[in-house]
Amino acid sequence: MKTRPSIALLLALLCADLPAAQTLPWGHRTDGPEVHAAFEAVREELQACSAVIRDGRDEIQYATVVSPDGYLLTKASELADAGKLTIIVDREVFDEWELVAEDPIWDLALIRVEASGLSPVRFGELVEPEQGEWVVANGATTRSRRRVQVGVISATSREVFPKGGTVLGVQLEEVEGGPRVIEVTEGSGAERAGLRAGDVLRKVEGGEVHSIGELQSALSRRQAGTSVAVTVERDGHPLELSVELSERGDLFEIEPDRNDAMSGEYSERRSGFPRVIQHDIIGNRHSTGGPLLNLDGDCVGLNIARFNRCESYAIPAAELRGLIDSMIASAGSGR
Amino acid sequence: MRIRGTLGWLLFAVAAGVPLSAERPYINDKKAPEDRRDLEEIQKHARRSLPAARRATVCLELGGEGGSGSGVVVSEDGLILTAAHVTGGVGRDLDVRLADGRKVKAVSLGLDSETDAAMARIVDEGSYEFIRLDREEGARLGDWVFALGHSGGFDEARGAVFRLGRLVRISEATLQSDCDLIGGDSGGPLFDLSGQLVGIHSRVGSRLPENMHVPVSEFIRQWDRLLAEEFIGDGPFAERPKEGAAYLGLLTKGREEGGLEVTRVGRESPAEAAGIREGDVILSLDGVALESREQLKELLAGCSPGERVAFEMLREGKTEVLTLRLGDRED
Repeated sequence: MKTRPSIALLLALLCADLPAAQTLPWGHRTDGPEVHAAFEAVREELQACSAVIRDGRDEIQYATVVSPDGYLLTKASELADAGKLTIIVDREVFDEWELVAEDPIWDLALIRVEASGLSPVRFGELVEPEQGEWVVANGATTRSRRRVQVGVISATSREVFPKGGTVLGVQLEEVEGGPRVIEVTEGSGAERAGLRAGDVLRKVEGGEVHSIGELQSALSRRQAGTSVAVTVERDGHPLELSVELSERGDLFEIEPDRNDAMSGEYSERRSGFPRVIQHDIIGNRHSTGGPLLNLDGDCVGLNIARFNRCESYAIPAAELRGLIDSMIASAGSGR
Repeated sequence: MRIRGTLGWLLFAVAAGVPLSAERPYINDKKAPEDRRDLEEIQKHARRSLPAARRATVCLELGGEGGSGSGVVVSEDGLILTAAHVTGGVGRDLDVRLADGRKVKAVSLGLDSETDAAMARIVDEGSYEFIRLDREEGARLGDWVFALGHSGGFDEARGAVFRLGRLVRISEATLQSDCDLIGGDSGGPLFDLSGQLVGIHSRVGSRLPENMHVPVSEFIRQWDRLLAEEFIGDGPFAERPKEGAAYLGLLTKGREEGGLEVTRVGRESPAEAAGIREGDVILSLDGVALESREQLKELLAGCSPGERVAFEMLREGKTEVLTLRLGDRED
């Protein structure tokens, strides 16, 4: 009892300082529990139509339920190094699962668990969500309960090209007349197309290139996996080759830039998508794969990449619908 | 005179109490949204205010290794509010990318190195999309706000990136929000739900949700000095140019009849850029008649890089006044 007054005094002193500081309590902040509570209806939808993929105790990814009979979509590249995974759909735990299809363009994996009567995402009217609309995604979970993370659509939907650009897969030196190949990178499109040391690059898709800089700009705004017509000069003769492009970061080391350095754990595969919608929900590389819902609880996208600390990408629902059908069909035909 | 016009208008608006078009959304006075109706209220106001806010948000490209920042246009003739650590100094040339992708030239005006406030002005004549500064009262703790900015540089297909959040901390010269910022956003605008400018993005804290903004009130407090191209304070956001490091880039010799004859003009010097040629005669510097090389040297020693000076020139028998901005000897 004797200590009580001094504690009370201490608290009073601390509190007296607070009005000057003018700080909003944590729970009332945009990602605080009091604000999250207003999203309870959407959270219940999320509980049913999303899954959690665990490696032991670690959540390594979320997933999106796309059919009542056990098909789930998630981000393919984040499953690559996984060990023995457990998948939790709503409250049901699955230790057995099967990878049935992959789509490298969208970085999607279709997996299947033995289940029936699941609640797949609903697509509503497929109206493109607009900048400023609320969106909801999976946040950290407990074993039985999903939590939400909330944000807004933050940019116009668009194609995103690989960060750092695409490359043929060669080391070059600048000589008179154009860039000359010193070395062909192993496993690259250039190697498969038959480029050789000593070849001088003359044209890309019919347009002349005179320097390494011009070559790089001719290869910018293109997607990895697509091919370009390249004209080289070999032994004094022109030769046209079709070269499949790679993402620069897949063949060469790229130094993280300043924005990367302040972005925590961003997705390894985070660019090079045919179309994305962008939102501002905070997350990390493990918080992708799940659905992006609007206030109606309709699915407007599937979270496919955390690009940096304020930019996250989702595959738009319009694209997702087609992908679900074609991936399930291809899985069926493979059996 | 254009400068005066803008300032005069602002003071008029405050003094006359021009009715504010936007009333305060009720949601700002709730501790937290409780249900869907409250969430839709936030969304409705933000989306209504977004188009005009977005049109006035610009990207500032600094050239070379300088990277890029953001800014917001606040007058039809192109006055821009931005951050001091973006412009980095007074009188610097900037490229401005407007929301529609057009590129125009601008020059930085004054800055406050202690609060990170700065101004710039588009120098290409034109009529620009802008937002009015007509805030009557300061922002309040908990107000819903949105941030715009060209995160990581200008991307025409993407446009300015929109983030929604709340004012989570207010102290004297800093606002903190939970709108996440990143490199390239610096200098960009923070708006309230009614589309009124609340602050300018400045910096991020060590932890994710700490995003700092310069309150608009700091710009208004220093308005005249920023417009007058002053370098204010000795704070951390910009390095004050050293007196004596000013660079003109010409050699002269004295003349018996007064004035200095230009004998050589340095390549890519401020003198060359201003059009000074060999054989020109400089009669005065900022109104002080020039008699000797030593006198010119002494006068320049009292100037700072980036300072604007006026020369009275004698060329082919005619006098003309030529103003130029001094360079930095250390560049």
